[in-house]
Amino acid sequence: MPRTTRRSSGPESQADAIEELYARGVTDGLPVVPPTLRRVEQAIAASGREADDLIALVPPNYGRATVEKIAVNAVMAGCRPEYLSVVIAGVEAMCDEAFDLHGVSATTNFSSPLFIINGPIRKRLDVNSGVGVFGPGWRANATIGRALRLIAVNLGGARPGIISMSTMGHPGRYTYCIGENEEENPWEPLHVEHGFQLSESTVAAFAGEAPHGIYDHKSRTAKDLLTTIARSLEVIWHHKATALGDTLVVLSPEHARTIAGDGWSKKDIQRFLWELLQKPVKDLLPGRDGGEGLPEAVLTRFQHPETDETLVPKFRAPEHLKILVAGGTAGRFSAVIPGWTFPNGSNLVVKKVRIRE
Amino acid sequence: MHDGVFFEDQGLPTATVISAEFVKAARAQAEALGARAYKTVVVPHPIQPLTRDEVRVLADKVWDEILARLTHA
Amino acid sequence: MAKDDRYLDPTDSVAVPRKTAPRPPSLDGKVVTLLDISKAKGDHLLDRLEELLRERAKPKAILRRKKPTFARPAPDDLRRQILKESDVVVEALAD
Repeated sequence: MPRTTRRSSGPESQADAIEELYARGVTDGLPVVPPTLRRVEQAIAASGREADDLIALVPPNYGRATVEKIAVNAVMAGCRPEYLSVVIAGVEAMCDEAFDLHGVSATTNFSSPLFIINGPIRKRLDVNSGVGVFGPGWRANATIGRALRLIAVNLGGARPGIISMSTMGHPGRYTYCIGENEEENPWEPLHVEHGFQLSESTVAAFAGEAPHGIYDHKSRTAKDLLTTIARSLEVIWHHKATALGDTLVVLSPEHARTIAGDGWSKKDIQRFLWELLQKPVKDLLPGRDGGEGLPEAVLTRFQHPETDETLVPKFRAPEHLKILVAGGTAGRFSAVIPGWTFPNGSNLVVKKVRIRE
Repeated sequence: MHDGVFFEDQGLPTATVISAEFVKAARAQAEALGARAYKTVVVPHPIQPLTRDEVRVLADKVWDEILARLTHA
Repeated sequence: MAKDDRYLDPTDSVAVPRKTAPRPPSLDGKVVTLLDISKAKGDHLLDRLEELLRERAKPKAILRRKKPTFARPAPDDLRRQILKESDVVVEALAD
């Protein structure tokens, strides 16, 4: 097998290796599995790819994500060998131009890549898409998300406080990976919406903040429930933020059933939320109800902004509200995940998982 | 930093103005791109809450440094 | 040493040494590009620098260019254009 990495002659014990890897600054602060030659080779073999295959250059440092380098980081994260194909697809997704990992990794903002897995691979690898979906307990979710994070740092250079300048960071920067609960989804799942077959498996990358909870136990109609969700979305970024792009609305199975029960499609949901999430210019002025507000370039379009009733949408277009179904079957809770969405910022990107035949 | 490192490498003298909070990030990024010697022109942080006039004052303050960065006079 | 006592490097160092451009003695007769990285307030700084350039140096021309976003490197077309038309560049303002 051709080698692309330097082999270091390692310490005598695994415990020493854990300490040494931490000291070299290549971990997330938690212990990692030492990436021994044997473990890395097993992962590469399971992917059915060549060790030297170049999958992507990882921004902003443009380190080479070869299959072998991806495998080294996946082993460190605790992945089983059969997860490697999913990790590879995740690398393709986050290194896609449209995702803008360069910005996501360097920004002072909160966001971290969230990986969403769709298709039959969820069952095969036991990816959690149900109860406690954003939480711990499932090896695939925990280690695939962690592997991708380690890759962004070790190959992309997103080391916190050095190139990654996120003021607050967020806990998803340890690992941030979920499955979509397709079984409880009354609509087409995310990957089908993006042009893939139901029988294909995909990984989507989305630059997101932490999940923000929405409680609604009482609404019995799509309209009531989505009004609650819209009013909760009003405050993301800040209450006068406008022109936002891709943002996730993660509906719980119970909420999804209520909405679909009224015959609403995903497009209906997007349109309804988008329309409700508009505010008149006069309510978006900087210096009234907080110093934030419409940018100067927008304000100059209005002669008398203090009285202008023109509606300005919070989101650039309805399609930017990405609808997903995930979580347990009990509980009338949904979540919104604000994105990193300047007009040329990060967009959700979906890539196919290529499975060894 | 990518643009500045690129322009310098292609023979175009470049002065990149950044705020003080980003000196470490800029240095790490330049180094990762192979430009250990790349120097920036630094203004105090923060910029975003400043008025137009306050930002203009910063330009006056760094003028000499920008000139020195671009020429060998 | 046993095979399992070695481990592989998770990082990749890609840095190829980059050059630093030779400097002219002054900006007299030079084409200066002022590159706005599209972060708010950077234009105010560049506006003032443009005035200072006109007052205190004798550039042949001052060109104002703007990146579509601060969040990515400039597009190749813009980079090529700047290379072609300018002698020195000032880019601002990353904060």
